[in-house]
Amino acid sequence: MLNKALIEDVLNAALTTGGDFSEVFVEDRFTNRMSLQSSKLEKSLSGRDFGVGIRVFKGLNSVYAYTNDFSKEGLLQAANAASQAIQSTPGEHNIVLPLVKQTVNTIHPIHLMPNSVEKTRKLQVLRKADQIVRDYHSSISQAIIGLLEEEQHVLIANSEGTYVEDTRVRSRLVVNAIASNEHDMQTGFYGPGRYQGFEFIEELDLEHYAKEASRIAVTMLHADPAPSGKFPVVIDNEFGGVIFHEACGHGLEAAAVAKNNSVFANKVGEKVASDLVTYIDDGTITNEWGSINIDDEGEKARKNVLIENGILKGYLIDKFNARRMNAESTGSGRRESYKFAPTSRMTNTYIAPGESTPEEIIANTEFGIYAKYMGGGSVNPATGDYNFAVNEAYLVKDGKIDKPIRGATLIGNGAKTIQKVDMVGNNLGHGAGMCGASSGSIPVNVGQPMLRVSEITVGGKEAN
Amino acid sequence: MELLTFRDQLFAEGEKLGFTDLELYYEKQSGFGCQIYKGEIDDYRSSTVNGVSVRGLYNGKMGYAYTEKLDEDSVSFLLDNIKENSSLIEDDPQDLFEGNTNYEKIDFYSTRLSEISIEEKIDFLKKVEKKIYDYDKRVVQTDYAAIQDQLVEKALFNNKGLALQDRNNFLFVVFSVVVKENDEIKSDFYFKLTKDLHSLNPEDIAKEAVEKSLSHLGGKSYSNKTYPVILNNFAASSLLATFSPSFSAKSVQDNQSRLKGKIDHKIASSVVTLVDNPHLPDGIRSGTFDSEGVPTKQLTIVEDGVLKTYFHNLKTANKDGVEPTGHGHKSSYKDSVGVSPSNFYVEPGNKSYEELYAGLEEGIIITSLAGLHSGANPISGDFSLAADGFYVKDGKIVSPTNQMTIAGNFFELMQDIVDVGSDLIFSPMDSYGYIGSPSLTIKGLAVTVD
Repeated sequence: MLNKALIEDVLNAALTTGGDFSEVFVEDRFTNRMSLQSSKLEKSLSGRDFGVGIRVFKGLNSVYAYTNDFSKEGLLQAANAASQAIQSTPGEHNIVLPLVKQTVNTIHPIHLMPNSVEKTRKLQVLRKADQIVRDYHSSISQAIIGLLEEEQHVLIANSEGTYVEDTRVRSRLVVNAIASNEHDMQTGFYGPGRYQGFEFIEELDLEHYAKEASRIAVTMLHADPAPSGKFPVVIDNEFGGVIFHEACGHGLEAAAVAKNNSVFANKVGEKVASDLVTYIDDGTITNEWGSINIDDEGEKARKNVLIENGILKGYLIDKFNARRMNAESTGSGRRESYKFAPTSRMTNTYIAPGESTPEEIIANTEFGIYAKYMGGGSVNPATGDYNFAVNEAYLVKDGKIDKPIRGATLIGNGAKTIQKVDMVGNNLGHGAGMCGASSGSIPVNVGQPMLRVSEITVGGKEAN
Repeated sequence: MELLTFRDQLFAEGEKLGFTDLELYYEKQSGFGCQIYKGEIDDYRSSTVNGVSVRGLYNGKMGYAYTEKLDEDSVSFLLDNIKENSSLIEDDPQDLFEGNTNYEKIDFYSTRLSEISIEEKIDFLKKVEKKIYDYDKRVVQTDYAAIQDQLVEKALFNNKGLALQDRNNFLFVVFSVVVKENDEIKSDFYFKLTKDLHSLNPEDIAKEAVEKSLSHLGGKSYSNKTYPVILNNFAASSLLATFSPSFSAKSVQDNQSRLKGKIDHKIASSVVTLVDNPHLPDGIRSGTFDSEGVPTKQLTIVEDGVLKTYFHNLKTANKDGVEPTGHGHKSSYKDSVGVSPSNFYVEPGNKSYEELYAGLEEGIIITSLAGLHSGANPISGDFSLAADGFYVKDGKIVSPTNQMTIAGNFFELMQDIVDVGSDLIFSPMDSYGYIGSPSLTIKGLAVTVD
């Protein structure tokens, strides 16, 4: 994507004012977005992103410059702009030259590159999903079916001798169903995605995903407003894991930990969660949405156990925060694109399965809320206060699932909530999502088996 | 390759291939951002990025593609993809805008802002950060002490002779402060967008940022019920931003807006007037033409509670048989043309924030909302959101509350606005437009306190 001599020149130029680490990240990305609405293909957009990010460290100072002027002059200018911010005594700098290309072990095989497949073939899948949604129920008033495909080619080189290239391919189908009656509209959503090519989209169980999205919209149209108060909450598997993504995952990222800006800082070896909780981040799971071969700093993907049986084991660490923490990278440096400096981020993060069956968990709950499908949420990492929405919820009464409820928002404090996990199921599942933070919006999986938290504050419209 | 060379080559190749209409949208963003942590530069970034998107009519159908790489390969990449995309698109085609003579002559670029040196910006951050630490011993740290400036240049060309250019620059600062007392940790922040760094006083910023954070310490729980609520200017503007897509004719035509069929109907309390002003001197979304080349102008969307118009681009206006309003919008060259407000806000009233809550016998003040991307349904208007704020009794703030949720419906809330404050600010959340509101008093909302 860029020739080696030029990369070496840029790495060198970035260090001329005394920096102790320099890095080049080159990205060439092809994107396709198709969207079917009112049964018509309304959007079909193709694009190419291309740019270069240059990063320099000096101790705990970090500088980032990016550009899509890929001429030699343009790149050296960006490298100089970055180096000018490092005002140190230039000495002999350490740089491993010449660069020697390292092979990246491809652990996520791709069979059909998105750009090799005609768009008419893709359109057929969208139409099929659209039909399933429209046939589901008379109250379905709209279906929006989207296809997102990306081929991202990256080259990462640094002054420590890292010199790697990788291609990431991701595909996602997004089903939005809207159900309406005279006075109301409700939406249902399902968005399966994987680190795979078009083979994933073509082999997808469309019946399942399109019907589930439709069922959520129709069910919520007839749901009562959620009650307010503190209740036991049963959270189902797959995307249910978003609660721990928000409540714990972000607090375990070095970006928060390194500056003591997390409730989990300085607590390795301490009990931070219920004994039932084992929390893992694993970028190596074959072809999962949040998987990677290498992270965006060129480090190999790995499996990081963060919490084991309630005991804090470690954090997610990138190269820069590793300096502040006197630790090593855990292969967790990620970024949306060359427009962002990488920082510590999650990949596929999940709660490991436990012993209970889903039936046992419901049967053991006298009164509470069953959150079947979660929406998104957010957290304030400094305080650990989180919130998230429930897309499909039910009351649980006398050990049985009762009527559907809507508009439930769960709020609480992450550090407290993970201590209140009192049942963990055996049905681990993963769900695809996008996670936004300082290094942009990146694909991540959240996951868990069904589990129960003894008490969460539920905010609804029905104030008791 | 130079932009104009690229344009000429693209239009020439395109016409040769049989394209009838071609449009080239260009955007260049240059920026500098910096973050300080305990006196050290923790993050420093500078950038220059540009890209183009191209629309073309082929066999009477419109296709799109974009690229960030302006080279010869990209000319064929764009034209091939536009051709393939246009053959699949089933949407009604839209002719390109030929342009007219009604463009305002306003330059939103501040030369003074562009002359501020990087050193001066970093010094400013260091000064404020130090004053934050010195202000109160309960300050643990700053979560963010950051400055960012941005220059956006846009150009639009088509093969019918249209050639337009606009530019805008601005700078913002954000200071987020974490405070701790006993075991309670709270944070809040100061945010300001400006074209004039010298108008900001470090002393005042430190005071405001720390006082705001300290004000949340000592949170208490209150009973869960329906309270009169004051959404302060920050909370109100972020809520309006979340539901602003309802005012777009695109949402209306797609059956995704509760405002469908409501033109000339009362959709809000009569104290509410909503204005869109694309020529605000300090507006992020200020410009003289929209993403399709339509001239922009000031517009009243809601007047004394009555809905006067939706936001339109060329296609939605064509469909409704009305004039385009200049709200064709691309979030960047990567996007196709949608519809979006420019600088859109609730017109301020006369009462100060303090006067608003002095009028409450009992109530809740909301100072910030969280979970807007997940806990709000932009179509139905239903929301259930995490919130921070204060409990008010007999016109006085009694204490901060523990984390809360508020639940309601945006369209009902619009009817329930009883008072509009004078303290207009704009939300830093700018993906829906640059959206502002003063503090608003709402008759009642369901509140749950943790």
